Amino acid sequence: MNTEAIRALWKRPASFRLTIPKLVLAAFVLLAIAASVIAPQNPYDPLQIFAWESSSPPGTAGGGGYVYLLGTDGLGRDILSTVFYGLRISLFVAVTSTVLAALIGMSLGVIAAYLGRWADALIMRVVDLQLSLPTMLVALIAIVTLGPGVDRIILALVIVQWAAYARVTRGVAMSEANKAYLDAARLLRLPPARNVFRHLLPNSIAPAITLIPIELGHAVALEATLSFLGLGVPIDKPSLGSAVANGFQYLMTGQYWISLFPGLALFGLIASINFVGEDFRRRYDPRSH
Amino acid sequence: MLSKHIRTHALILALAIGSGGLSVSVAGAEELRIGTQLKLMTLDPHYADLNENTSLLSHIYERLVNQDEDLNPQPGLAVSWKRVSPKVWEFKLRDGVKFHDGSAFTAQDVIYSIERVRDFLKPPSGGFQSYTKVITSITAPDPLTVLIETNDEAPTLPIQMTAILIMPHKAAGGFASTEEVNTGGAPVGTGPYKFKNWQSGEVLGLEANGDYWGVAPAWSSVVFRVIESPAARVAALSTGDVDLADYIPARDVAGLETRGIKIESTAAARSNFLQFDVSRDRLPGVTDAAGKPMENPFKDGRVREALALATDRPFLAEKILGGYGTAASQMFPPGIAGTSSNLSVAPPDYERAKALLSEAGLSGGFSVVLAGPGGRYPGDGESLQSIAQNWARIGVKVQPVVSPFSVFMTKRSAGEYPVWYGGCSGEAVTLCLDLVLASADGDKASGSLNYGGYSNPAYDDMLAKAKALEEGPARSEALARATELVMADHPTIPLYHFHLIAGHGKKVGSYTVHPRGWTSAMRAAPAAE
Amino acid sequence: MTATIIGRLSQAFLLLLAMSVIGFVGIHSVGNPVFNIVNVETATPEDIRRATIALGLDQPLWRQYSLFLGNVVSGNFGTSYIYHLPAFRLVMNKLPATFELAAVAMLVAAPSGILLGLLAGRRKGTVADRAILNSSVFALSVPSFWLSMLLIMVGAMLTGWFPSGGRGDAVSAFGSEWSVFTLSGMHHLVLPALALAIPNIALIARLTRSGTIEVEAQDFTRFCQAKGLSPRRILFRHTLPNISVPIVTIIGMQFGGMLAFAVVVESIFNWPGIGKLLIDSIQLLDRPVVLATLTFVAIAFVGLNALVDIFYAVLDPRTRRSA
Repeated sequence: MNTEAIRALWKRPASFRLTIPKLVLAAFVLLAIAASVIAPQNPYDPLQIFAWESSSPPGTAGGGGYVYLLGTDGLGRDILSTVFYGLRISLFVAVTSTVLAALIGMSLGVIAAYLGRWADALIMRVVDLQLSLPTMLVALIAIVTLGPGVDRIILALVIVQWAAYARVTRGVAMSEANKAYLDAARLLRLPPARNVFRHLLPNSIAPAITLIPIELGHAVALEATLSFLGLGVPIDKPSLGSAVANGFQYLMTGQYWISLFPGLALFGLIASINFVGEDFRRRYDPRSH
Repeated sequence: MLSKHIRTHALILALAIGSGGLSVSVAGAEELRIGTQLKLMTLDPHYADLNENTSLLSHIYERLVNQDEDLNPQPGLAVSWKRVSPKVWEFKLRDGVKFHDGSAFTAQDVIYSIERVRDFLKPPSGGFQSYTKVITSITAPDPLTVLIETNDEAPTLPIQMTAILIMPHKAAGGFASTEEVNTGGAPVGTGPYKFKNWQSGEVLGLEANGDYWGVAPAWSSVVFRVIESPAARVAALSTGDVDLADYIPARDVAGLETRGIKIESTAAARSNFLQFDVSRDRLPGVTDAAGKPMENPFKDGRVREALALATDRPFLAEKILGGYGTAASQMFPPGIAGTSSNLSVAPPDYERAKALLSEAGLSGGFSVVLAGPGGRYPGDGESLQSIAQNWARIGVKVQPVVSPFSVFMTKRSAGEYPVWYGGCSGEAVTLCLDLVLASADGDKASGSLNYGGYSNPAYDDMLAKAKALEEGPARSEALARATELVMADHPTIPLYHFHLIAGHGKKVGSYTVHPRGWTSAMRAAPAAE
Repeated sequence: MTATIIGRLSQAFLLLLAMSVIGFVGIHSVGNPVFNIVNVETATPEDIRRATIALGLDQPLWRQYSLFLGNVVSGNFGTSYIYHLPAFRLVMNKLPATFELAAVAMLVAAPSGILLGLLAGRRKGTVADRAILNSSVFALSVPSFWLSMLLIMVGAMLTGWFPSGGRGDAVSAFGSEWSVFTLSGMHHLVLPALALAIPNIALIARLTRSGTIEVEAQDFTRFCQAKGLSPRRILFRHTLPNISVPIVTIIGMQFGGMLAFAVVVESIFNWPGIGKLLIDSIQLLDRPVVLATLTFVAIAFVGLNALVDIFYAVLDPRTRRSA
């Protein structure tokens, strides 16, 4: 890992290229943020749902004065609104857990590198243990232990994701920790916390940052999968994954829209995150082609 | 690169053609493939009192007394029965019946089976002990007669005997444990089909019993494929992977019919309802309009009535169950012995409900948690959401809490919920009237499902008197009157009797669904040649 | 070498211990499995209490756990609450199904991925390369459950070519039941194997591609070209062997990962393997089976990784020198 090159890249002013994936991702994010404003119906409010209009195909005119552009699900919830609100939950869970995991992982990695010896051995041992298991398994164990709920899902995702950041950051921080400027700081008897957080951390996080876009995509997919299995977010406030799960039973009898549109939105979201991440990595990770 | 693609296509094509060819059946050797939701837990018919365990095994083992589609007792391995004294029943057994291994069926086997359940099997096995608890002794004056003595009057013992499947006694004496039955080789019974092979939780293979005493088995072999997911089961039926599938969700019926699948259904002998906790003073999950804890609102009959009036039951039956359900006013569907024909379901009356709430001093409404299982019964989770919408219209804010079944049951037993979704089924309506609505009485097992602590002494009295009568019009009348009395007090809100739906393809000419949810190859007739 | 092996073993042991504690506590806190065994509509609270005691679930948690540990040492994971069979035996029964699914999937994914990756790497920057690269991102963006559902829709419902789920007929071989040897078995394998294979094709293709690009940029490749060797010969006799080690590593790791990610695919296709057993047992609160399955999958995964590491060390002289 050529840290000098990475740092040089990191400090270079970013030249921003507008690509289709970035536009699509921006659109999704905007839709999610503006969900409560632009959605014709709030699918979490029982009073806005007309249960007798359930399972209506796309294009049906609804009793609330608007058209169900994408149809309704088995309970009468407007699919278009469900997609917007589901985007919001999926993005919220994924972004929150990724950011938290990155922060925790990076901090722990740097601490491990700085303190060395037993702290390093302990933290890295846990990291190795966790990384030696498939993520799905770790997620399953975590979610079963923690129980249901949006906050628990976020916690479970953080538990799953932090290790990768820790390992990468620790690697870079190890080589940084030997640099002269830190010796100088130690000689000046500056408090260790300050050394770690004001000097070591910013110089060590570059490779971990390149992980974030990929991990974000993984987080969205993992939350969707857990919700699909019924172990994720509670069913009355569905994320895109639970919406697909709800619609699975209807797929076999031709009411495809209940699963299809949330599934397409989910796919589009993950694909755009991945494409943007690809682009990001190609520009900032000197190892990629 | 190109040739690789051609090769792959050719392989797939060959597989498709080859398998299509293989599924053409050889003339005269019809195999029935059934896709079932019931997972077949063990090979021991006495293990658990669940359809999962007994429905499939009832092809291999048989009962003394069968229940027909009207839930009336019919002769099985017992040809007749007679109550010789208030506490003694005499069963005359069928002659000339052989087990699959050739040994003769005698009273010894009946004694063995009942005593095995009552004395030998330890929990978690032997879930049928509630049926054998009342039996004090079983004797056999001759090899084809059994005398059963009970510790209390048991006017409906024959119906209760439908629960016990008869196993062959061990020649060497003693009883076989569940492990032995599960792993000790082919299980042997008297039924129309013999055990061929199994994979626990996946598949059960049976072949016809040529020496069966009754109607000759119509199929040369039967294969049960366990497909617990309803969507997968429906898909298997529509693509022809299986010839018959049970527990079809109502919403899939239209799609199946367009693919040429025939649908049969019947109202299940059960109901699902909402049950209130009326005993505690403060309830978890209940707060007033301002969010502060309040006195238990369900103690007031007017509140219960208001909520019952606000619940749109016809909607549940028509929309949520897709028409494959009947709105319920009582425990079992009307028409079955012991139900009342005077009770009916009215469309919701929100105005009157609001008025009742005001009378009870709750015009501001309140918030409540409504809990239930998800995916266990047809329409369970969806009903809660729908009811939440209904009650919101009279100012009662509902937070539906849907959990997997065992989680829900654990929390409900721990008293975490103020009102919840429940169900009851059994061999007769008395069971539910007793277990759910009668006051809890540790001795007699009455009220053991009365989790809300409802107590109505007048009703208990009427029910006890009705239970003492023998099967017949008088008993049914008395039960109906008792039902009317208790339902007027709204201890529960009956929601619906869902229908059991099964579908079959061309190979099956006709199939009748049993209200108790038993999936049986014996009720499937092959299509006429 | 021995030091690493011992290190690995102790690591694996720690891992299993940690996982068993978490799994134990987690399942216990969810609910009481007794409700899945007794008929709740006729069982009295007394029946439930007795069943709970019979399963040992009324004891304090730490005592249950120490009993469990004691039994595990002798290879006994307990008896399944639902199926009343030894938990370990249940896992072993379901193992062939998952194994043959993963094996077929990998047999499809590896060659396809490698070939596509070689193609893309050799023609870097061309339309073919970009097409393969973009499709790989798309393939990796589809969540496995969505891919499975799409395959069922297209492969079974719309066209009717393949069954919508379940395992085909199996024959006994090597002491277990295998369906890969029967025609109906292969027929049932196609769709679920595809669902597992497609993301792996993408992954292996990308890896092969970047490996190919790296190797082709190196001096010895140019030397071969200068010597006049045909491109195909360079590709297969020089490039491929040099990138084979990381690729084999990934294939090994992904195979282990398939055992875990098969959870979703097996659930949707109703494939009776270990993944489905795990999910079903979690939902039924069948604790002995959950722990047995988790233990087995963890051991398999860690063991596979260790094997791959050893293989890596053996095959790549460079690591041997630095070790």
